[in-house]
Amino acid sequence: MLTAKGKYGLKALIHLAHYPVGQLALVSDIAADNNIPKKFLDAILSDLRNAGFVQSRKGKGGGYRLARPPEEIKIGSVVRVLDGPLAPIPCASHTRYEPCDDCDVSTCQVRHMMLNVRNAIAEVLDSTTLAQMRDADGEVLPRELRRTG
Amino acid sequence: MTRPHVLIIGGGASGVLMAAHLLRDPGADVHVTLIEKRGEVGRGVAYSARQQDHVLNVAAPGMSAFADDPDHFWRWLVERGFVEQANRFVFMPRRLYGEYLSWVLGKNIDDGRLRLLHDTVLAVHPLPGGVELSLDSGTSVVGHTAVLAVGHEERAARAKGIAVRVGSAQDTPLDPDADVMILGSGLSMVDAWLELSQADHRGPITVLSRHGLLPKRHCDVPRMELDAADVPFGTELGYFADWFRKTVEEHVGRGGNWRGAVDALRPFNQRIWQEWSTQSRRRFLEHVRPFWNIHRHRLPPELHDRLRAAVDSGRVRLVAGKFLDIARAGDRVSARVRLKGCAAEEFMEFARVYDCGGVSVDVLQSSNPAVQSLISSGAAKPDELHIGLDVTRDCAVIDANGVASARLFAVGPLTRGTFFEIEAIPDIRMQVAGLAKRLVC
Repeated sequence: MLTAKGKYGLKALIHLAHYPVGQLALVSDIAADNNIPKKFLDAILSDLRNAGFVQSRKGKGGGYRLARPPEEIKIGSVVRVLDGPLAPIPCASHTRYEPCDDCDVSTCQVRHMMLNVRNAIAEVLDSTTLAQMRDADGEVLPRELRRTG
Repeated sequence: MTRPHVLIIGGGASGVLMAAHLLRDPGADVHVTLIEKRGEVGRGVAYSARQQDHVLNVAAPGMSAFADDPDHFWRWLVERGFVEQANRFVFMPRRLYGEYLSWVLGKNIDDGRLRLLHDTVLAVHPLPGGVELSLDSGTSVVGHTAVLAVGHEERAARAKGIAVRVGSAQDTPLDPDADVMILGSGLSMVDAWLELSQADHRGPITVLSRHGLLPKRHCDVPRMELDAADVPFGTELGYFADWFRKTVEEHVGRGGNWRGAVDALRPFNQRIWQEWSTQSRRRFLEHVRPFWNIHRHRLPPELHDRLRAAVDSGRVRLVAGKFLDIARAGDRVSARVRLKGCAAEEFMEFARVYDCGGVSVDVLQSSNPAVQSLISSGAAKPDELHIGLDVTRDCAVIDANGVASARLFAVGPLTRGTFFEIEAIPDIRMQVAGLAKRLVC
């Protein structure tokens, strides 16, 4: 499931998505405003930079900004980068997967169901952009995925 | 409402598949006019090959015209005795596929909903209530909507009128001992080499490409399992390439074959392309595509082995280098080349140079008059990378002001800026199925 790393990374990106295009944000500000340990945040932002979601500038006046418009960044992409392939339990992934010692992966019904769960997770996360998440007031799901009635 | 009249420009594979999907439901109240300059349908650049050696690069079961009826082509083959039920990993001759496509369409001609015109579309005029096509015969035809299905560019990309496409009118009979050069090392190069071998060409063949690579060999191996949840969409090219390299290594480490990992990506290729930044797409085309292509677009085993033998025996020489320019030198042709790893340029002379540089022709240089007319009138514009026309994800052509047309659509290779992998039947049949739904309703 979503780790602290994933959660902090999303919070940092939402923070950056509030800035005017191109303006740099200080790491210390991002950390303080979102209650993220600064050292941990450095590592997270470095991962996000490697994947192409943020850009950084070093030195005085340096900081981080989004590398792409928040409308183009899908939440699912960010979570995959920070937490690895979306998977509710370790064996429910085709890459980086960790088979359990005590069951047969090809016949395990639990794994089978969890593979379906992860696909549903991916669908929700992949149909939400960073801009939508920034603008949503506690209502993250896009309209078409909301449960009606 | 009057029944919709759809004009299809081009009767090659993509045009035929478009028509077949529009007319598939016998109850669909639609009128289709298909305009093809060659006078026979289903025989575009890809499937008109006459030689038995020109086989499909996809095994037969993958070539059905309909994604939701994957055995459609296979049944056609079995019913006619072309294949044996037991062995499905076979690569059928391309002309047979052309025959199949004509058959798919032929079924619809009798019911009066399909009209075939043997003509060339010279210009496309979007009208307020429809689209008008000016034809080479001096007439014009009007419909509610039009679909550009013009297929691959026919003009040799770097030709300057000197390099030629194999089998084109400029490819006049050649001394069988002449030395020739082929630009490009992908599947089109293999086609050119086959045509030369077929014509008993004995002269040396030099193949020039940036890295001097050859397409890899097909193998009948299972696909690796992969879900969308595994794929890091939206990350930059370098990150993505690292991920994929590791994924292949892990798959191989578990006893899998790299081909299974490459093929596992296929259902996601269009989305991977679409979610990349423009910069990643451009860098992919420049730096990664040659390596991707040889792994992704592979050769039937028997063909691969023959080509490998030709290289080993020296009849085909692979040269890694960048093609810079071409000029006539008396009755010969001189190519200016910078060999890989060398700073200096050199000239290489041949009796003829064939351009098989594949498909990346700037759409502004298109030799197709319909495409030219649309761009010059502003009804269409090139995509960001100029590898096709700018279209929406539902195939609507986008005009010079950025507005998506409600009447003009494009399918097949012309839409590769938006879809990238949209040249093979399995991709095109999905694309036209979606568009047909929209056009018939």
